[in-house]
Amino acid sequence: MNAPPQILLEAENVSRSYGTEMILDNVSLQVRAGEVTTIAGPSGSGKTTLLALLALLLEPSSGQIRVAGRDAATLSDTERSHLRNTFYGFIFQTAQLVGSLSVLDNVLLPALLAGKSREKRAVAGELLDRLGLGARADFLPHQLSLGQKRRAALARALLLRPAVILADEPTNDLDARRAAQVADFLLGLPADGYALVLVTHDVQLAERAGNCWRIDGGKLMPPVNVPQACLSQHADFVLQMIHHKRL
Amino acid sequence: MAKLIVNSLLRRRWQTLATLLGVGFGAGLLLAVFLLYNGFGQGLERGRQRLGADLLVVPGNATVDPDKALFAGSPLNVYMDGKYADQARKIPGVRRVESQFFTQSLKLECCSLGTESRLIGIEDRVAHRLAGMSPDGREKLEPDEVIIGSELLGGIGKPGALIELLGDIFRLAYRLEPTGTALDHSILMRMDSARDLAAKSEALKPVWQEAGNPHRLISALLIEVDDTSRLQEIGRALEDLGSLKVIRAADTFERLKRLMNAFVFMLAAAGALTALGGVAYLLGHFSSAAWDRKGEWALYRALGATKLRMMQLVVGEAVALATSGAVAGLPLGYGFYRLAFSRLAAQNAFPFVAPGGALLVTAATGTLAVYGLIGFLSAAAPAWRVAQLEPALTMAQGDID
Repeated sequence: MNAPPQILLEAENVSRSYGTEMILDNVSLQVRAGEVTTIAGPSGSGKTTLLALLALLLEPSSGQIRVAGRDAATLSDTERSHLRNTFYGFIFQTAQLVGSLSVLDNVLLPALLAGKSREKRAVAGELLDRLGLGARADFLPHQLSLGQKRRAALARALLLRPAVILADEPTNDLDARRAAQVADFLLGLPADGYALVLVTHDVQLAERAGNCWRIDGGKLMPPVNVPQACLSQHADFVLQMIHHKRL
Repeated sequence: MAKLIVNSLLRRRWQTLATLLGVGFGAGLLLAVFLLYNGFGQGLERGRQRLGADLLVVPGNATVDPDKALFAGSPLNVYMDGKYADQARKIPGVRRVESQFFTQSLKLECCSLGTESRLIGIEDRVAHRLAGMSPDGREKLEPDEVIIGSELLGGIGKPGALIELLGDIFRLAYRLEPTGTALDHSILMRMDSARDLAAKSEALKPVWQEAGNPHRLISALLIEVDDTSRLQEIGRALEDLGSLKVIRAADTFERLKRLMNAFVFMLAAAGALTALGGVAYLLGHFSSAAWDRKGEWALYRALGATKLRMMQLVVGEAVALATSGAVAGLPLGYGFYRLAFSRLAAQNAFPFVAPGGALLVTAATGTLAVYGLIGFLSAAAPAWRVAQLEPALTMAQGDID
């Protein structure tokens, strides 16, 4: 019998408030190697805040975040920075490429900040090739389409071979075809051992990803293993999204 | 990190250029102010050392600017009877009397000077005072030897070189250190040699003929007294000897020093204001950048830059900007200094010693260091604020320009 996959990230009874407003309320979650964790919910439900807490970009008001078994509250700024640099790969809502850096240098940015860009240059080139951007390595971000930018951001997230990929609305603003390409790539990552935390309100992506946690009003509902059930559980959210798009 | 800094500077090329120009002008001015300040200070000190006398006595009919005569070393083709030297020695309270005889060379054809130059006849015992300015500390001058000012003969004026002056051949004893005065363009020789040259020259005859036989003439007396509180009394006694004009070195020195101090204060104030302006400019630049670029810097934090690395990035950019501007300002400052120097030298108004290569290198390095420090200081507070940025900011922002 196979051992259960290693727990890489764990949130235990985590709450986060801004002033008197409770954004996340007593949330518990485990992220395992080689698995997808999908978090879905309407705008303002707290999903991006949860992602920021898991990524050590924010500190919880209460509760505990554990990274590879270590209590994040005990980590120094240097240790947290090192983890953000090597343990996590980030895909933000917008590509967040630095406009003056070439596509290649944008991909190399985590290595540049860690002072090891030279040794990672070849890896960056390979990633760009895999993502179909090899010919655009020297382009500036403004010369890329939205989908290309998103793929460059994907390459940046994978550069240092992190354990966990945190993707915040990765298919946002993409047309259906581009969204499917990005989704294909992302959902293939767990097979390579990556843990993928996917925050989305893209119904199709949530359906494909599975292991779907529902978040609403700062409360996290347990995962539902059947995608359709996940969606039905999100019916109110889906209706909200449809309504929102019509507006 | 260097790549990110360079890239950041190149990305905002107009902003960077404006900052470089602002810093460059400031650094250039600071360098020029320092060089002028140093040149004046050294010139005044050398003028004081060279003089070594409390009183300067010249013929009563000489039209003489005391500043130029005493500190700019400007000699005069005026003559008085040599007996005044002996009479001055007999005045109570006079410790030492030195006489000088001024004449000039003519334009020569060969091996030496291309232009007319001032010849100054000095007493043997005067040579020891000039010895302090000689490279090997020589004190005695032979009859066929001359000392030349620092600006004469250029590279060929090595000790032992032969120089033709009014038909006679002289040997170069040594070249004086620069004094920033007319002495730099003068030739010094024993007084009897200078008198012989003047006497033999038909061309120079009209200059001294009216005063008498050049072998009995002198141009100026340098007098040192035992007690400087009696200067006024001794000065009056000297004036009583005949038609003589007495210039008190201490008064002139003090007046010139006050003038110089005021000038130096202005220069120092200009330099300090320039440096402060640089601090204010860069502080404003990086304070606004801490706000304008928080998206970019929050992204770096999110991607793993430590607080220390963020501070290094911001301070590094400031230091790179400040020192690059200063590098650009160095030739500008040197050019400004040369311009000011040439104007002042043309006026011969102040003693001024042009700085040597070593001082130039030191001044340039110092300017770069000052501006590196300015860059560091002006970015320290913004860098601290940047280091405190919440990396979570990056979750809520759009693309970065």
